Amino acid sequence: MNIEAKLGLDVFKIDKERHITIDVEVCNRVCTDKACLYVCPAHLYEIDDQGNNTVNFEGCLECGTCLISCDHRALEWHYPRGEYGVQYRMG
Amino acid sequence: MDIVVSVKTNLDLQMIRIKNREPVLEAIPYKTGDLDKNAVEAALQLRDAVGDSKVIALTVAESNRKVRETIKEVLAMGADEAVLIVDPALESTDQAGVARTLAAALQKIGSYDLVLFGEGSSDDYSGQVGPRVAELLGVPQIGYARKITAGGAGVLVERSMDEFIETLEAPLPAVLTVVSEINEPRIPSLMNIMKAGKKPTEEWSLADLGLDPAAVASSCETLSNLAEEQDRKHVMLEGGAVDQAAGLVNALLKEGILGR
Amino acid sequence: MEKVDCIIVGGGLAGLSAAYGLASEGLEVMVVERGDYSGAKNVTGGRLYLSPIRDIYPELWESAPFERPVTRELVTLMGDGASTTLELASDCFATAPYQSYTVLRARLDQWLADQVMEKGGMVITKNRVDEILVEGSKVIGIRAGADDIGADVTIIAEGVLGLLSSKVGLREEPLARDHALGYKEILELPSSVIQDRWHLNEGEGAAHLFMGEVTKGMMGGGFLYTNKDSISLGIVVGMSAMRERKEKIESHTLLDAFKELPQIRPLVEGGTLVEYSAHAIPEGGIAKVPKLFGDGYLMVGDAAGLALNALLTVRGMDFAIASGFYAARAVADAKSRGDCSAAGLAQYEQSLRSSFVLKDLETAKDIPHIMENPRLFTHYPQAVSGLLEKLYTIGPHPSQKLSSTVIGGVRKDFMNARTLKELYAMRKI
Repeated sequence: MNIEAKLGLDVFKIDKERHITIDVEVCNRVCTDKACLYVCPAHLYEIDDQGNNTVNFEGCLECGTCLISCDHRALEWHYPRGEYGVQYRMG
Repeated sequence: MDIVVSVKTNLDLQMIRIKNREPVLEAIPYKTGDLDKNAVEAALQLRDAVGDSKVIALTVAESNRKVRETIKEVLAMGADEAVLIVDPALESTDQAGVARTLAAALQKIGSYDLVLFGEGSSDDYSGQVGPRVAELLGVPQIGYARKITAGGAGVLVERSMDEFIETLEAPLPAVLTVVSEINEPRIPSLMNIMKAGKKPTEEWSLADLGLDPAAVASSCETLSNLAEEQDRKHVMLEGGAVDQAAGLVNALLKEGILGR
Repeated sequence: MEKVDCIIVGGGLAGLSAAYGLASEGLEVMVVERGDYSGAKNVTGGRLYLSPIRDIYPELWESAPFERPVTRELVTLMGDGASTTLELASDCFATAPYQSYTVLRARLDQWLADQVMEKGGMVITKNRVDEILVEGSKVIGIRAGADDIGADVTIIAEGVLGLLSSKVGLREEPLARDHALGYKEILELPSSVIQDRWHLNEGEGAAHLFMGEVTKGMMGGGFLYTNKDSISLGIVVGMSAMRERKEKIESHTLLDAFKELPQIRPLVEGGTLVEYSAHAIPEGGIAKVPKLFGDGYLMVGDAAGLALNALLTVRGMDFAIASGFYAARAVADAKSRGDCSAAGLAQYEQSLRSSFVLKDLETAKDIPHIMENPRLFTHYPQAVSGLLEKLYTIGPHPSQKLSSTVIGGVRKDFMNARTLKELYAMRKI
């Protein structure tokens, strides 16, 4: 089962507001490693056609690994508001 | 003005998963009906506009635990008191049984000028309970309410019809069922949630209402509750975005979904 | 600003344990939890050690929704192409009172929230605390949405990331080197199948850890816990280790590869995947435990870095519950003396120091450093399995004496300067 299908099993209550924002300028200019691309267990980070890093925040498992792994503080990351985000049935 | 708002606790449908085509209903969290919150908000606004009024939240359930959070929520929003009808016999009731219970509860409450409902519940959305209660009580009922104004000897209600808006006047007491466009329900503050538990709450059983469990028994029996099985077409579109879009349009045309 | 006795930021096990203690003392307590319900945002690998906390709230555990008591312990050292499994079936783990239980957090935390509410505590879900309010050096309450609420004491139980407390300088921001990523799948299997596959009596459970190839040599390991009618299968991997590995691996693919291993595939066969989850884990050890209290606040659970990965035993939830318990006692005491300053709350740290919480973390203070050695996850699992492989091999040529094989293997893989130095360093564990 691929990662998208796995995430499809979880309950996500999706906010209109995004809770992760990438400072693309910092990301492009300073970061060579782009750890978020491979550390995120939900595989939410992707480089788009323009070469910019993007994140599909809707499938976020809220572990914070990307935030902790970003040496350049290029992520503005907070938990989703109450009533939103992943809701684990089992945990 | 005494305003009673009926609220329903549903399962949080988004939390339900399907196993062997059947919904897994065990340990699903509860949630207050969406339109019910609009009804509460409408009641609070009316109360504050009219003055010298109170809002009573009324709910029906098979267990206290099921409705605990809903009652807390609507009291925290600002309802003045709550009446819970709790009876194990309500586990297997239907819309007619709920309506009978609510009508009996309203009679026991005694004084009510307006009874507000959401137009339909967040689970079944059958839209039956409001009209049934009005019928049982023998009072006028207006559905699809998008604006309520108290005035004269009754209420002025704008109804949201598909293509037009109808304005009706009704004497009191009356039953109104509201749609979501009527307002944006307020989100209760933490302090109000904290204090909600201290507001007066009454709990009655069916016996307290003089109702026999048989009077609320469902007239329907659920024989099966299966998720629809759908075959996927498994069509993979190749190429760049432009080619894929063209391919998708073609595929939808071929299926007769587009261009009908 | 309206005020309550005590606000608890976060309704996980640490926060709820504190709330339970305070509500039992009749204090006015408000737990603010951002999930739809307690546990909605929480993840465990799978096991709660009950032994250390059984006497804390002794009345509670009887009704707790545990999955299975762990009666079988397994560990597999995975080399590349050969692995060694040790299995311990011990009478002392197989008889009540059981040392540890597998658990699922959504169930466990909701149950504890219910117990708090029964004691008169208020657990408010679906609300996120946005800020910890500080005046001078004193924590005075919280901001949540448009609400500012004051409290004599704020218990910070916000979890591993510590976003709110680090923002106001009560702790450091989390660093990669002190944290691991844990993620897992929950696979449903009929209870009878679980019992057959893991050779368990009805209701009993197994815990199985994996080291080595499972994380491709990165610090961490795999785990498998049996629940009532599901298994939790996952991986813990050091965040720094993922960064430092030359060939980067997308974390999610490790778990897929783990499931495909020949030792694992038959165990998960036929299981229906029902949930995929992930969480960060504090692994900095005692060196990274922040200041635990100050004017008007206490820190508990993961937010305070109270977790311990000692390779064979991985703990956190017991520390969370115990820290919540001691926090509640300290707050109740401070309230009764009318002194919620740092001095009034100092008892909290003292009681953690004299309990297993800080004692066990102190005992294990060298483990985080030793675990940074990647050879622990490459060379050693391989060496052990390699040696056993030789002992079990009958080839076309005449065999060596058993003792020669052992001595040869030990010489080659263990009796070199580097390994001896490492083994010597491990005496600190």
